Amino acid sequence: MGEEPRSPVTVERMSVLFRVQHILLMVSLLVLAVTGFALMFHDNWLAAAVIRLEGGVLYRGIIHRSAAVFLMAQLVYHAFYMLCSREGKRELREVWLTRRDFDDFFLAMRFNLGMDSKYPRFGRYGYKEKFQYWGATTGVFLISVTGIILWAETFSMRYLPKVVLDLTLIVHGYQGLLAFVILLFWHLYIVHLHPSVFPMNRAWLTGRVDAEWLRQEHPAEYEKLKGEGVI
Amino acid sequence: MRGTFLAAAIFIALGVIAQGFWFPADARISLEKCTLCHGKPEFRKILVDGKIRDLFATADSLKGSVHEKKTCVDCHFDVSEIPHRQRPQRVTCTHCHYKGNAEGAPQSDAYLEYFGSVHGNAIAGGNTKAPLCQDCHGNHSIRKTKDPTSEVSRGNVAETCGRCHIEIYAVYKTSIHGVAVSQGIPEAPSCTGCHGEHKIYAHKDPKSTVFATHVAAQCSTCHGSVSIMSKYGIEAEQVTTYQNSFHGVASGFGSRTVANCASCHGVHDIRPSEDPRSMVNPKNIPATCGKCHPGANPNFAVGKMHVDSHSKESGIIYYTAQFFKYLTIGTMLALIAHIFLDMYGRTRRLRGDK
Repeated sequence: MGEEPRSPVTVERMSVLFRVQHILLMVSLLVLAVTGFALMFHDNWLAAAVIRLEGGVLYRGIIHRSAAVFLMAQLVYHAFYMLCSREGKRELREVWLTRRDFDDFFLAMRFNLGMDSKYPRFGRYGYKEKFQYWGATTGVFLISVTGIILWAETFSMRYLPKVVLDLTLIVHGYQGLLAFVILLFWHLYIVHLHPSVFPMNRAWLTGRVDAEWLRQEHPAEYEKLKGEGVI
Repeated sequence: MRGTFLAAAIFIALGVIAQGFWFPADARISLEKCTLCHGKPEFRKILVDGKIRDLFATADSLKGSVHEKKTCVDCHFDVSEIPHRQRPQRVTCTHCHYKGNAEGAPQSDAYLEYFGSVHGNAIAGGNTKAPLCQDCHGNHSIRKTKDPTSEVSRGNVAETCGRCHIEIYAVYKTSIHGVAVSQGIPEAPSCTGCHGEHKIYAHKDPKSTVFATHVAAQCSTCHGSVSIMSKYGIEAEQVTTYQNSFHGVASGFGSRTVANCASCHGVHDIRPSEDPRSMVNPKNIPATCGKCHPGANPNFAVGKMHVDSHSKESGIIYYTAQFFKYLTIGTMLALIAHIFLDMYGRTRRLRGDK
């Protein structure tokens, strides 16, 4: 717990490049959320104030679409990086979803409910990190698809039935809300509220975590690094 | 000779005094005197531009009007000589119709709004064709608005405006609103229903009730009212569905270029969508949408335009929205549950660790 003296040994968990990608992702998602929800909840006084702050609906749209283009560019860059670079390939292997992650999730739930005595031993990324990563990535991809359909409104109206556009608008808004809710609560927990990191896991800024924290929360990764002689 | 002159002088002097005694200082001219000339049906004047100005007016002219008990000089107060040495001025209604007048003539601030209106400003700018009160309300035959024979009654006001606005009147007359008014439908709008009465402004003037960003609100005074629309089987949800659309939101935030009701449905030529001349008839949709969305094709007309995702009648759209709503709420609850469950489990894990 917090009072225990922590080992000063730290290990790198996020390289500079990933930290930069993470911060850019955070900024563009926040801009998209603020401009998007302002339109979605335009009846709300706060949303109305935000739209006025952004210079009206015209500039709200321009800011939203600029941030969206930036986000899509990041997604493309990230995909290439994960598939082609040495660091990316290694990380992709670590974060790849396997059957074990779902087993880990159910095992953790059973343990938390007191139905099992074992808690899963997570590797570099546990189900919490992996679910969030894949959720966010597919989410960004899908919301880009609906966003482009809405952006190219004349094209879409030419070739798609109106009902598809109505649905796209609904789905786009709720996709955004769902992604926002998931990212907010999940980050709130694993980066801030989780007792081992409270008030904040600073890995997203410094890139490093305590080896002791790793031993507690990601024991398999800890042992692997120990075996490699990193710690 | 001298005596005769004196007698004549005294006689004239007495006559002048007597005249002053019998008639008050502002010598009033009786109706009989006016009708000496104005009572002849052929009494008219040919103006310089060749138009004929009918000057026929008798005691019957005011009959049935709100000024029935008035005499000629009550309004034509500048007339004091017969024949008129100077051309009598146009009647100024504000001579009586001002606040606190002794005559008891009706007066409200609404009349004063005329002076700031497009018509009042045109008059002030020297446009002699612009209308004064009497051009709309009538000269001698001024009647109350509620009186169906009044020139500004619901049934007649469009024709009255149309005396100057001829082309607009011709278009309006065959529109759904024009037809409805002529059928005597009491809620149907005539010119004044949308443009206002005394405070009519040009549609480019931000004060106008039909300014781009005010159109939706103006139409919704009737079309947003379920009690009016349900009588005629028209859906009132068109207003809210517009307000929640991209067009409506942009308009609500002051965009003047985005589509308002009139952009798609027309202005004076609004017709039901079944009418092949209607701007929102499926055949005309590509042209109508194409005004702003170049490349609009017949596919634009496929499907319902005014859709309310909160209404069950929208079918799949409603159920998709509901599904996502509960999915979001469910996800939120599941995440919160996971947070507490995991924190609780962690205390157990750490106890086992020791």
